[in-house]
Amino acid sequence: MIKVNNLYHSYNKDGKFAVKDVSFEVKDGEIFGFLGPSGAGKSTTQNILTGLLQLQKGDVTVAGYDIKKISNKMFNKIGMSFEESNVYSKMTAKENLDFYRKLFDVETREPEELLKLVGLRDKANVRAGEFSKGMKHRLTFARSMINNPSLWFLDEPTTGLDPAIASEIKDIIKAENKKGVTIFLTTHNMYIADELCERVAFIVDGEIKLIDSPKNLKLQYGDKLVEVEYIKDGEPNKETLSTIQEDDIKYLQDIIGKYEVQTMHTKEATLEEIFIKVTGRGLV
Amino acid sequence: MKLWHSFIKELKLSSRGFYFYIELIMAIIILTVVLFAIPEDFVSKDTEYMYFDLPEEMIDEYRADILKDDLDGKAEYVDVKSGKDVFSAEYYETDKKKYYVVKSKAAAIQIAETERPLVSAVMTLDDTGNVHYKYYLQGYETERLKNTYLVIHNLDINLLKEEVDHQVVRSLSTDYEKLTDRENVIPSLLTFNGSLMGLFIIAAYIFLDKQEGIIKAYAITASPVWMYLMSKIWVILLTSTLSSFIIVVPVMGLQPNYLLLLLLLITSGFFASSLGLVIASFYKNMMQAFGVVYLLMIAMILPNIAYFIPSWEPIWIKVIPTYPLIQGFKETILVNGDTTYILMASLGFFAGGMLLFLMANKRYKKTLAA
Repeated sequence: MIKVNNLYHSYNKDGKFAVKDVSFEVKDGEIFGFLGPSGAGKSTTQNILTGLLQLQKGDVTVAGYDIKKISNKMFNKIGMSFEESNVYSKMTAKENLDFYRKLFDVETREPEELLKLVGLRDKANVRAGEFSKGMKHRLTFARSMINNPSLWFLDEPTTGLDPAIASEIKDIIKAENKKGVTIFLTTHNMYIADELCERVAFIVDGEIKLIDSPKNLKLQYGDKLVEVEYIKDGEPNKETLSTIQEDDIKYLQDIIGKYEVQTMHTKEATLEEIFIKVTGRGLV
Repeated sequence: MKLWHSFIKELKLSSRGFYFYIELIMAIIILTVVLFAIPEDFVSKDTEYMYFDLPEEMIDEYRADILKDDLDGKAEYVDVKSGKDVFSAEYYETDKKKYYVVKSKAAAIQIAETERPLVSAVMTLDDTGNVHYKYYLQGYETERLKNTYLVIHNLDINLLKEEVDHQVVRSLSTDYEKLTDRENVIPSLLTFNGSLMGLFIIAAYIFLDKQEGIIKAYAITASPVWMYLMSKIWVILLTSTLSSFIIVVPVMGLQPNYLLLLLLLITSGFFASSLGLVIASFYKNMMQAFGVVYLLMIAMILPNIAYFIPSWEPIWIKVIPTYPLIQGFKETILVNGDTTYILMASLGFFAGGMLLFLMANKRYKKTLAA
């Protein structure tokens, strides 16, 4: 669905690249995470893929269209949910969606249905200017689905949302993906990437450092640890032990045999920890 | 259809905002001023103060001369305030002038200092029995005026009159009627409230959209960016046409050629709006763009000076677009105005507007993510 080869981009055309030699491929029906800290080149790449930035160097194909000769028809196939909400504040939620659906040449979804999906059905006739930040974000998210996109760009889709709403948004993303929608997810939130993405790319300083599935990354880079809480001499104790090292295994067996174990969890490395290990950089 | 939907959306948005009503409210204010504050024709009467230091018989002759032209044929006795003093005077009013005849030379001089009339004159008899005129001027009069005072008393006045009477003034174009002073201000008002206001307002609309990030969202649709820009221009054209007609119809009635007026309004509005789009494409907000817009407006106002003071018309001023625009609007409201001039001006504004619009489209495509 997306093919990127040797992509470069310089804002000032001065040899300082915001994106350099980026290559990757997103398969049909995949949820692909593009992860990195602020200023890493995530938005630049995404803006080139969506035609918001002009392609300078490299080969990019999106939904079967060559980005060098961008066609308006391409936008019938793609949807984009922006990190910063951008809806008409003087129009109601329904008017916003009603207007956007008229800008496509394909069958569109009913505004009421989408508003219900993102929990804004009761606010359909309220002007977006009166919405909270989270509500505007949900409206922006709903708008990105109006044309039934087969390729869906999501930029920080759960930012600024309370956990319950964020969970609903993630469920919608999963449901759309099940229908066959390809999703390009840009985020610095490793938890959402871990939960949703089949593959992730780590990007830092405009360069992709690694592309793999979260599962493989954890197997490759994560320490195999177990965290155990137990009662010893009437006092609660907590240990983190390796499941590979002989000494730790014996010690764990001792704890299980001698003391009252309260909790015991295997502790995988998080994507964030792996990101730091691989790139040497944090995510903020 | 997408363009139409965008236009309806823009109309809805602008009608819910402040800028939409600025032009219309301004048009109503301007109309009120034009109808009730600006007279049909500016008629100003010069005021002269005189003191006759002459024998009574000569004074009576002068009085009789003035009374011939006096509106009611008789003198009024009035008090003239000058600083803290009050002087009694005879007052005469003709079609062109107001005369006060005061009773002392000192009064005439003091009034010249304090009231700043056109002139204070003291008439006396010299040693040879001739009338001698002494004028008390303000000091800023031109050499021409001073020379005129000299000439009229040193040449035979009858000879001068004969010369003037024989001057032939021939109008080169005789098939149109002159505009009244009130009507004469209309072209200037149409230029600034009708056409140029669009430049500001479309820039304001763009900056509002930039603030809300709307352009990016529009760019990820199957509708081209030029439609987004054109829908805004259509709104501007609608409001500027409405506001212009609010001013023109009550003042001019059926005299203008409304079809040509509409054509010039649309083409010049298209030009000004496209210029506004190009300017707005370089800046993030109105504060940043203010300097350029301000300078541009000052430049655009200059032809207005040439319009009202025809003696000041340097060649370079004709290059400023508002020059042909003001002249063009004048032709549309004149009886038998110059149709060719209007059509050529409209064509020029359309061509210029199209170039600017293409430039704006290219700029916005390029800077969508900014």
